[in-house]
Amino acid sequence: MSQATESVFVGDDTTGFERVAAGVVGVGIVTFLLAAAGLLQFVALGQSVLGTPVYDLFGYGLVAMGVATAGLGIGTRAGVLSADPDDAAGILPGTIFGAIGFATGGLVASQTFGLGTPVWIAAALSLGGAVFALTVFPREDVGSTIPAASFLVFLGGVVLGDVIAVGWAWTTPALTGTFTAEVVLPLLTVMGSLIGVWSAAKAYGGFGPSGRQAGAFLLIGLSVFGILSVLVILVVFVFIKGLPTVLTGADLAQLEIPFIMNVSAGLYVTVPGVLPAILGTIWLVVGTVVIAVPIGVGAAVFLTEYAEQGRFTQVVELATNGLWSTPSVVFGLFGLAFLVPRLGNAPSLLAGQIVLSFMLLPLVIITSRESIKSVPDEYRDASAALGVSRWETIKSVVLPAAMPGIITGVILGVGRIAGETAPILLVMTRSVFPFGTPNVLSGFRFTTSPPFIANDALLQSASALPYQLYATITAGQSPRPELFTAREFGWGTAMILLVVVLGLYAIGVLSRIYFRRKLNA
Amino acid sequence: MLGTIGATIRENAPVDAGDAGHIWVVGGLSLALAFALFFVGSRFTVLPLAAFVVTVGYGWYAHQAGTAKGLTLLTTVFAVLILVLIVVFLVARSIPAFSYMGIDILTKTSKPFWNTSGEEVYSLVPMIVGTLTTTAIAMVFAAPLGVASALFISEIAPDWAREIVKPGVELMAGIPSIVYGFIGFAIINEFMYSEMRLPGFGSYIAVGLVIGIMALPTVVSVAEDALAAVPESMKSGSLAMGATDWQTMKNVTVPAAFSGVSAAVLLGVGRAIGETMAATVMLGHTKLIPDPLYDVFANGETLTSVIAFEYGNASGLHMSALFAAGVILFVTVLFLSIGSLLIERRMERKLGGKA
Repeated sequence: MSQATESVFVGDDTTGFERVAAGVVGVGIVTFLLAAAGLLQFVALGQSVLGTPVYDLFGYGLVAMGVATAGLGIGTRAGVLSADPDDAAGILPGTIFGAIGFATGGLVASQTFGLGTPVWIAAALSLGGAVFALTVFPREDVGSTIPAASFLVFLGGVVLGDVIAVGWAWTTPALTGTFTAEVVLPLLTVMGSLIGVWSAAKAYGGFGPSGRQAGAFLLIGLSVFGILSVLVILVVFVFIKGLPTVLTGADLAQLEIPFIMNVSAGLYVTVPGVLPAILGTIWLVVGTVVIAVPIGVGAAVFLTEYAEQGRFTQVVELATNGLWSTPSVVFGLFGLAFLVPRLGNAPSLLAGQIVLSFMLLPLVIITSRESIKSVPDEYRDASAALGVSRWETIKSVVLPAAMPGIITGVILGVGRIAGETAPILLVMTRSVFPFGTPNVLSGFRFTTSPPFIANDALLQSASALPYQLYATITAGQSPRPELFTAREFGWGTAMILLVVVLGLYAIGVLSRIYFRRKLNA
Repeated sequence: MLGTIGATIRENAPVDAGDAGHIWVVGGLSLALAFALFFVGSRFTVLPLAAFVVTVGYGWYAHQAGTAKGLTLLTTVFAVLILVLIVVFLVARSIPAFSYMGIDILTKTSKPFWNTSGEEVYSLVPMIVGTLTTTAIAMVFAAPLGVASALFISEIAPDWAREIVKPGVELMAGIPSIVYGFIGFAIINEFMYSEMRLPGFGSYIAVGLVIGIMALPTVVSVAEDALAAVPESMKSGSLAMGATDWQTMKNVTVPAAFSGVSAAVLLGVGRAIGETMAATVMLGHTKLIPDPLYDVFANGETLTSVIAFEYGNASGLHMSALFAAGVILFVTVLFLSIGSLLIERRMERKLGGKA
C-alpha cells in the first residue's frame, strides 16, 4: 500500500469520545474472551468469578456495552460529541441488524409467548423491518449505534433476568440436538460482544468512512486472532495430553523413552511403544522421496526447458492439477485396484510407498517448475554464450540454482505425506499393534528365479504413525490396559505424529528462509 | 492426447543420426514392455526393466544430452499416464455396481439404502447428502474467515504480524487430518454428547466444523495469492482519490481479485469434499437421510467415510460400490479443480491487461 497514508502529518490528542469508545471495545473483548472460555468449558457457568456468577458477568458486560454505545450515538447526534458521520449507515448494517431483529422477534413470539405460526412470523417481520428502518434512515451515528445498543441491553436483560439461566434447555422436533444454557448463553454473548465491538470501533473512528474502516479492521483482526488461538490451543492441548503417555517409564537422564523405542505388542515388552509406526513412517518417506523426486524433477525440467508452451504443456498442467486435487482415499482405491494384486495380493510397504509417491509427484512437479522458472534467464544466456550445450547448462547451472526451491518444496510435501492415513490404510497396513519393525536394509537377497532380487520387508504389511493413531481409535483397546487407556495411547501417538510432522514443516520453513536470505544477501 | 504426445516426441527426438535415436527406440520399447508385463502381473517384468536400465546407462555414458532429454520426456508422459490409469482402474472396478443398481445408485431415496448381504442394495444417496451437508457447514465456516484472513495477510497486516500469521496458517495446513479427527472424536463429540444431549456420538455439524478448520488454510493461501496479484497501480490510484484503505479493499482489490478468490473457495470446497479421516472417526456410519434435511445434528455417513470404514470387509459387489463412491468423489473434485484452474487463467489474462 502507498506509504503516504502512513506518515503522521497531524497528531491529535485522544479525545474523551475516543476513550469511551476504546473502553467499550475493551469491555467487549473481555466479555468475548470470557464467553469463549465458558463455551470451551474452561470456566463453568455457575462458577463464581470475583464474587459473581460467570453468566451474570456476561450480562453486566453486555448491558455496559449497550448503554455506553447508545450514549456515544446519542451524544454525537445531539452535537455534544464531535464525529464525522455519514447521512446513513448503509444497507449492510441494516440487513445484519434487521436479520437479528427478525430472529429475536420470531423466537420471543413463538417460544416465550407461545403464539402460533402466522402471529410469530408477523411479529418477526415487523420487528425486523422496524430495526432495519431504524438503522438505515437516521443519520449514521444513530443508525449504527442505537439498534446495536438496544440488542445488547435486551440480551443483557435476558441473561441478568434469568430468562435463560443454568438448567434451561430448548428442543425443537426438527433438530436432534438440545440447546442448553451452557452452549446458548456463551454463544449469544459472543455474538453480542462482536456486534458491540463493531459499533464501538465505528464510533472510535468517528463514523463515516474511517469509522467503518476501524470497525472492519477490528473484526478481521479479531477473527484472525481467533483462528490462530484455535491453532495454538489445539497444539498445546495435544502436547499436554500426550506428554504423560510418552514419558511413561522414561529415564531422560539415559535418553531412554520406551514409548518411542519399544514395539507395540509382545511378551517381553514392558511399556508398549510406537517404534514400528515410527520406522514405518521413516521407510515410507524414504521410498516416496526416492520414487517421486527424480520423476517430478525430470518432468519439471522437460516442461520448462525443452517443451514448447503449447497443447502438450497445457495437458500436462491439467493432469498435474487433477492429480494434486484428487482426494487421498481415491489414491488408496487406485492402489488397491492396481498395485496390490500385482505385488503379492496383500498389503505391502512397497505399495504404500508407490501410492504416496503418486501423491507427492504433483507437488514436486509444481514446486520444481516454479524454482526452475525463477532461475534468471541471464544464467542460461551466459552459459550459452560460453558455448555450453543445452543439457550441460541444465545440469550444471539451472538445476543447482533451482535446488534450494526444490528441496524446500520436497520437505514441505514430505511433511504432508507423512500425515496421510487413508491411502496407506487401504494398501499397506494390517495389524493394530505390531510385534516387529520392518527390516528393509537387511532384507535384500538374491533369488534364483525372476525377479532375481527380493525383499521380504518391502512386500509385507507395515504400520505408520497416522495409521497407529487411527487403529487405536477404532480398536478402542490399549495394548497394555493397566499402563494406559486406549485414549491415552492415542494422545501419545498423536503427540509423536505432531512432533514429526511439525518438525518436518519447521525444517522446510527454515530452509526456505535460509535460502531466501542467501539469495538476497 | 496421444496425438499431442506423438507430436511432442517427433519435435524433440534427436535428429542426428546415430545411436541417440536408437537409444530412444530401445529404451522406450523396453520400458513399454516392462509396463505391459507388470500390468499382467508377470514375474518376468524385471527382464525388460533391466534392459531399460542398461540402455539408459549406456546412453548416459555415450549420448548424455539425448538420453537426458528422453528421460525427462518419459517422466512427463508418466505423470499424465498416472492420472489416466487412475481414471481407468477406478471406473473399471466400479462398473459392476453401476450396472447392478442402475440409476438407483444415485437416486434411491427409500430404505433400505445399503445391504451388503442377501438382497444386495447399494444406494449412494445418503452418502452424497452427508458429503454435501458437511461440506456446506465447512464452507460456511471456512469461506468468510478464509477470505478475511487472506485480506488481513495481504493488505492489513503490518510486516511483523504477517511474519506470524502466514506461518501459522501453513502450520494449520500441516497438521495431519487424523490428528484433527482424533481431537474431534475425543473432545468435540464428547462435548456435543454431553452439552447438546445428542442420542449418540457424532453429528454432521461437528464433522463440518472440523473439516472447515482443515479447509481454511487452502482458502487462505490461494485467496492471498489472488489478492497479492492485484496490480499496485489500481490500489494506489484509489488511495490517491481519497478513499480509505478499507474502501479500496472493498471496492477495488476484492472485486479485481474476485475470480481468484472464488477459485480459492472452490479449491477449499474440493478439499472439504475429499476429507476422509476426520469424517471416518467422528461419524456413526449409519446410512440415513436426515429428516428434515436441515437436521445438522444427524449422525450418518459421507462418501469418503464409507470407503475408509468398509474397505476391509468388502468384496465383489460391495467393493465395487465403494469404487463407485470413489468415482463420484474423483469426478466432482476434478470438475472443481479444473473449474478453478480455468478461472485463475482467466483472471491472469484479465489482470495482465490482455483480455
